[in-house]
Amino acid sequence: MTLLELKEGDTAVISRVSGGKGVSARMAGLGLHAGKKVRVVRAAPFRGPLLIEDISSGARTMIGRGIASHVEILDEKP
Amino acid sequence: MWKSLTKSHNSETVIALAGQPNCGKSTIFNAVAGFKVNTGNFSGTTVSYTETHVYIGGRTVRLIDLPGTYSISANDIAERVARDYLLSGQVDVIINVVDASLLSRSLELTLQLMEMNVPMVIGLNMIDDAQKKGMEIDIQALTSLTGLEAYPLIAVQGSGVQELFDAALKISENNFHRVPPVYDRDVEECIARIEARYPSLLRERLKMDTRFVIIRLLEMDEEFERIVAEADREFLEYVIENRRFLAEIHDWPESGVFASHRHALVLDLFEQVVAVKSRTGTSLSEKIDRFVINPVGGLVATVGAFFLMFAVSFWFGNLIADLLEVPLETLGSFLMSHTSGPTAMLVSGVYDGFTAGVGIVLPYLVPLLVILSLLEDTGLLPRIAFMADGLLHRFGLHGKSVVPIIMGYGCNVPAIMAARNLEYERDRIITMLMVPFIACSARTVIILALAGKYLGAGYTTLIYLGNIAIALGVSSVLSRLSADMSPGIIMDVPPLRKPYFHVVIRKVWARIMEFLLFAWPVIAISSIVLAVFSYVGIDDVINRVLSPITTYILDLPSELGITLFLGIFRKELTLIMLNSALGTTDVSAVLSSAQLLVLVVFTVLYIPCIATISTLWKEGGWKVALLSIALNTSIALAVAGSLAFLL
Repeated sequence: MTLLELKEGDTAVISRVSGGKGVSARMAGLGLHAGKKVRVVRAAPFRGPLLIEDISSGARTMIGRGIASHVEILDEKP
Repeated sequence: MWKSLTKSHNSETVIALAGQPNCGKSTIFNAVAGFKVNTGNFSGTTVSYTETHVYIGGRTVRLIDLPGTYSISANDIAERVARDYLLSGQVDVIINVVDASLLSRSLELTLQLMEMNVPMVIGLNMIDDAQKKGMEIDIQALTSLTGLEAYPLIAVQGSGVQELFDAALKISENNFHRVPPVYDRDVEECIARIEARYPSLLRERLKMDTRFVIIRLLEMDEEFERIVAEADREFLEYVIENRRFLAEIHDWPESGVFASHRHALVLDLFEQVVAVKSRTGTSLSEKIDRFVINPVGGLVATVGAFFLMFAVSFWFGNLIADLLEVPLETLGSFLMSHTSGPTAMLVSGVYDGFTAGVGIVLPYLVPLLVILSLLEDTGLLPRIAFMADGLLHRFGLHGKSVVPIIMGYGCNVPAIMAARNLEYERDRIITMLMVPFIACSARTVIILALAGKYLGAGYTTLIYLGNIAIALGVSSVLSRLSADMSPGIIMDVPPLRKPYFHVVIRKVWARIMEFLLFAWPVIAISSIVLAVFSYVGIDDVINRVLSPITTYILDLPSELGITLFLGIFRKELTLIMLNSALGTTDVSAVLSSAQLLVLVVFTVLYIPCIATISTLWKEGGWKVALLSIALNTSIALAVAGSLAFLL
C-alpha cells in the first residue's frame, strides 16, 4: 500500500521510500523516512499534492502524487 | 572544487550560519549585520550565500549566511552552494541554526555537520514556538550528548543572538573537542575496517576528516565516489563491498542503510533531550491555516492576496500621486519661469527626474512592497503553492514556481534567482523564462500610473488578467516542447507566523533605499541625458530608427521610440520620460485611450530590463537570456500590434 491510497485524516507508518536516491534523500531531509508515523492532512484540488504531517514533530510537507505513490506504508487503521 | 583546504591564516574569524531551510539563518544574519539579506517564511529565501564583516567583541568576523540545506548531500543548487562552502576549509566555526520546534528533523543535519569535524555551536531558534508546542528541551542534556554548546534564541526579536556569537568566538579560540556520533556496532566496525585501509594519497588530496569521507562514501555520495575513484579505485571497491555487506545484514537498500542508522540515532537523541507535554486548544494561526488549506479558503486567500496587493497599491498610489500633483506642478512652473536657455534644459531634466521618483514611482511602490513583504513573512506563499500546484501542472509549471512568480511581482531579479529552489533543470528553465512576463513593481507602477489613472480600474484589471494569461500560456507551450516529465513537488510547509512590524519596515526600507540609491540616480541622469539629446537632436535619430515599430506596428507617436528604448535600462524610465518626450504632463491629451492601452501592454511585455537579462544569463546561460529576449519581444509585438490593429 502507498501513501497515495490514504484518505484525508488517515495515519500510517512509512515502511519504505522508493523512486530513486534523490527522492528518498529529499524526503529523509524533511524527516519523512521509514519508521515515521504520518497523517494525511489534506489532498489539494486538481490532483494536486498531499499535505503530510509528521506526527512526532508536527512538521508539514507537501508531496506530489507521483512521489506519494513511491512511499510505501504499513496500513494502520485506527 | 574544494581546492584550497588549508585556511590562509589571518586575524579574521570566519563564522558560517548553516541549517535547514527556513530555520532563521538570514534573520540571525540581519540581526547581527543590519538588514542585508531578504527573509521570508518559506524554504529557500536564500539561494546563494551572502557574507559581511561585523565587529564582535573587538574582533573582525566574516559572517556567512548559507542557503538552507536539509542534508549535506547536495540535492539542488542551493544545497550545493552551502556544502561547497562548508567543505572549502575556510570556515572557523559553524553556527548550526536549528528550528527548535522541529528539533527531531533538524538534528539529522546537525549530526551530518558534526561528522565534518569543524568547531560548531547550536543556535536553538524559535524556542518560543517549541514551548508553545509543549516541547521542553533539556539544553544541558543536548550539550553533554553531542559535545556541542547550544543556546536558545528568538532571532526575530534579537534575543539570545549575542550569547550565541560570544560562544562561537570562544570556541574558535579554544581547541574544539568533538564528540563524533557513534553508530551501531556493525556500522562502527565497518567504518573501522575501511579506515584501516584508507589510502595516504587520498589523505593528501582530500584534506578532510577521514571518518567524514568514509561516511560520505557509505552514503553513496557521487561526488566523493568520483574523487576517490580517481585516487584509488581499489579502495573504492573495498568501500562498496563493505557497504553492500552492511545493506545485506540489515536488509536495507544500499543507498539508505547508513541514513537509517542516523535516523535511529537522531530519534534516540531526541527522546533523551526533549520532553513533550500534551497541550490543549488550537491557536489562532492554526485556525487560519485550516481555513487556508481548504479549497474554498485557499482560493479566497490567494485571490484576496493578489487583490489586496494591487487594489491597495492602486488606491493608495493614486491618492498620494494626486496629492502631490499640485505642489510638484507649482514647483515646476516656478523653476521654468526663473530659468532660460541651456540652464532651463538642465533644470527641467533634474526636475523631471525628481518628480518621477517622488510623484510617480514611490506612491505605488511603497504599498506594493509592504504587502509583498507581508505575504513573504506570514508563510502564505507555500500554502498558495500547495493549492495551486495541481492547476499549475496543467500549465507546465510547478507548485514551487509560485514563489518565483509572486516574488516576480516585486522584482524579476530575485524571482529568477528563486527558481533555484526547483530541483529539476526543466522546471527551472520554464520558470525562468516565464518570470520576465510578470509585471514587476516597476511595470506595475506603469500600469497603475497610466492605465489606472487614464483608463480606469476595469482596464487595469483586464491588463493584469491578460498578463497572467500570457505568462501561463508561455509556460504551457514551453513545457509541451520539452519531452521530460516533472517528477513532482516536495516542499516544506512551515506554520503560519505573525509578521513582525519592524521586520516588514526594514525590508521595505531596504528595497526603497535600493530604488533611491540605484534606480533614482539612473532615472535622474537619463532625464538629463534625454533633455540634452532633445536639445542636440539625437533623440530624433533613435525615434526614426524605431519608428517602424512605434508608428507602423504599434500606431504610436514616433516620439515614444526613445522612451521605449530607455525602458530597457529601467522600466520606470518609459513612464517617466513619457512626459518629457510628449512635452506634456497630461498624457491623455496627446494619446488616445487605445494608444495608451497599446503602450501599456507593450511596455509590460517587451524586452526584460538589463538587470533581468543579466540575471537570466548568470542563472540559465546565454541561451536562456537570448531566448527570453526573443520571446518577450515577439510576444509584445504580436499582442500590442494586434491590439493597435483592432482598436
